Amino acid sequence: MVRTPTQDQLLQPLDQAAFRAPVKRLDAKPLFPLVSLLALPAAIWLALFTLAPLLLTVVMSFWKSTIFGTTTTLSWDNYQRFFSDPLYGRVLLKTLRVAVLTTIFCLIVSYPVAWYLASQNVAKKAVLLVAVFIPFWVSYIIRTFVWLPILGRTGVINQFLQYLGLIDAPINWLLYSEFTLYIGLIYVYLLYMLLPIFLSLDKLDRKLLEAASDLGASPFQMFMRVVLPLSTPGIISGSVMVFLLSCGAYVTPQILGGPSAIMFGNLIAEQFIGASNWAFGAMLSVIFIVVVLLVLALIGKKAGMQKIFLGQG
Amino acid sequence: MKSTAMYKSEYSSSERAAPASSPSAPMVCVDGVNKWFGQDQVLRNISVEIKDGEFFSLLGPSGCGKTTLMRIIAGFEFPTEGTILIDQRSVVDVPASRRPTNMVFQHFALFPHMSIEKNIAFGLEMKRVPRSTIATKVKEALALVRLEKFSGRKIDELSGGQKQRVAIARALVNEPKVLLLDEPLGALDLQLRLQMQGELARIQRATGSTFIFVTHDQAEAMTMSDRIAVMDRGEILQVGTPRDIYERPTHRFVAEFIGHSNFFEGVVCAGASINEYCPVSYDGVELVGRGAVPLEVGTKVAVMVRYENLQLLAAPENGRLVGNVTNKIFTGPTVRTDVLLANGKTVTSEQPVSSDAVNLGVGQAVGIHWTAANAVVLNS
Repeated sequence: MVRTPTQDQLLQPLDQAAFRAPVKRLDAKPLFPLVSLLALPAAIWLALFTLAPLLLTVVMSFWKSTIFGTTTTLSWDNYQRFFSDPLYGRVLLKTLRVAVLTTIFCLIVSYPVAWYLASQNVAKKAVLLVAVFIPFWVSYIIRTFVWLPILGRTGVINQFLQYLGLIDAPINWLLYSEFTLYIGLIYVYLLYMLLPIFLSLDKLDRKLLEAASDLGASPFQMFMRVVLPLSTPGIISGSVMVFLLSCGAYVTPQILGGPSAIMFGNLIAEQFIGASNWAFGAMLSVIFIVVVLLVLALIGKKAGMQKIFLGQG
Repeated sequence: MKSTAMYKSEYSSSERAAPASSPSAPMVCVDGVNKWFGQDQVLRNISVEIKDGEFFSLLGPSGCGKTTLMRIIAGFEFPTEGTILIDQRSVVDVPASRRPTNMVFQHFALFPHMSIEKNIAFGLEMKRVPRSTIATKVKEALALVRLEKFSGRKIDELSGGQKQRVAIARALVNEPKVLLLDEPLGALDLQLRLQMQGELARIQRATGSTFIFVTHDQAEAMTMSDRIAVMDRGEILQVGTPRDIYERPTHRFVAEFIGHSNFFEGVVCAGASINEYCPVSYDGVELVGRGAVPLEVGTKVAVMVRYENLQLLAAPENGRLVGNVTNKIFTGPTVRTDVLLANGKTVTSEQPVSSDAVNLGVGQAVGIHWTAANAVVLNS
């Protein structure tokens, strides 16, 4: 009896062959070994202007500054002073809180905008993207200052509300408050959230939405099960950027925040510029870097470092 | 070669058992549908009925409106005019998510962030089917498309054919009354496409659901379908079994789109109704064919003769027409011969290599003959 192969048997070799998934060769040697030399200038630059100052900062944080100058004897004095005075810890926590809330607000504001942008046709998309970018061609210091005549006691908003008769006296908390700080930070850093989210939504295949709808998903289910998971890389990289930038903010709180909205960056700047206590400022910087790195590591453990820095799902 | 492959498919599909349809109402009923996109009318007065359990193909060149018609049935587009009934219920106001249809997309549209199982389970989860039931059904669906061994894999680890099967399983697991397939084999290479054609037919027999299949590939439509609707420029020109459409096309477009034919343009000598023999005057000679449509005297028509029905006779005086062999091509199972007629027209005959046609030499005078039953008179 002649045995003819069943369809299953015929299928097998094909399926198995197709299944040898290509292995990503991360260790593949570059085509020309000399190419890596091209990275040398950048490497030197980074070593000179990032690594060296960072090391100097760490070393300096153990020095001592007095009115007579800075002595290079090493001690834990600066760190002891940090932990004995609750002021610094309080400002640090507040800075983290401001950064987290700014990130959340930016996310809430930019997600719908990113979705709207991504849903437009190519021509309209280009026009709208340029429109989004234009304000960011102006220096962020100017974009921060511009809030003064808007939010001030005699600013546009107060005058308008008084003109309408809604208020008798100008609202004071519009300027130089934590509220103003949020307004300023969100405005300045919004684009860093908007762009990565826009990019991940723009990549999203619209057919997937049709498929979800075809399979019975309501618009809400479609968003939760398909759109949100597929835009997570954009959300994460946008959030990390806005968080880092807001953590380091010091111009915005200085211009808009007033005395109550001091952030950690202002404390550090004050040590270097005002108090001339470089050693203490260096110590604050070191502590700040360590804390922010810890926060990032925490997020990274949850979301995966790759997602954060490479935007890969 | 192409036309030979088609004979086979034609016979295999005509021998297939008729679908086990009840004599009752059709599963899908499209009635008087018009669709405009701005100034463009993409569907013109479409009316078609698709039976329960039928494998029905929408066949036509790109831009003929077949995909739009399918998207209207799926609920992704809405007709400008007309109604759609699925299982005797009007679905015109029903969104895609609540129609008893599921779709297999052209490029699969699988969710890249989910495993195979999660993709297949998606529709059931949306309907809040109990977890244990979902697990069983997903397993069954994987077995149906023969992917049991690949469970747990990620979507991007699958080959095209495997993705295709996941897409089919994801749709079928919901037990749709109608499965819509939008050129599902277009993204596959030839070998895989042939394999999946067989698979689809098997799956359709196994589930007994109604399949609506959109394709521009005539051989694919012929092989797989119970019935085919041939579309062109937003209109359905003809609906029929593959054999009907091949042997009795009602439009010149259908005859040209499917298979290879010779067309002799002439004028009707005596009126005839459908399927009656109709004499046509061609270049002073009277040709006979069966009327595809009712024909009146004096109408300009074309007599269609398939390549394989055009016989060449070594004795020219025995033929309806006379010509000289200009070219002979051996295709393997057949020999294809070009003949130049006295009026300058070239006709082609394709005969099995076992026939006498193989002995004809280039330059030889031959008679051209066909059985009148195999010639169709079409409006030209």
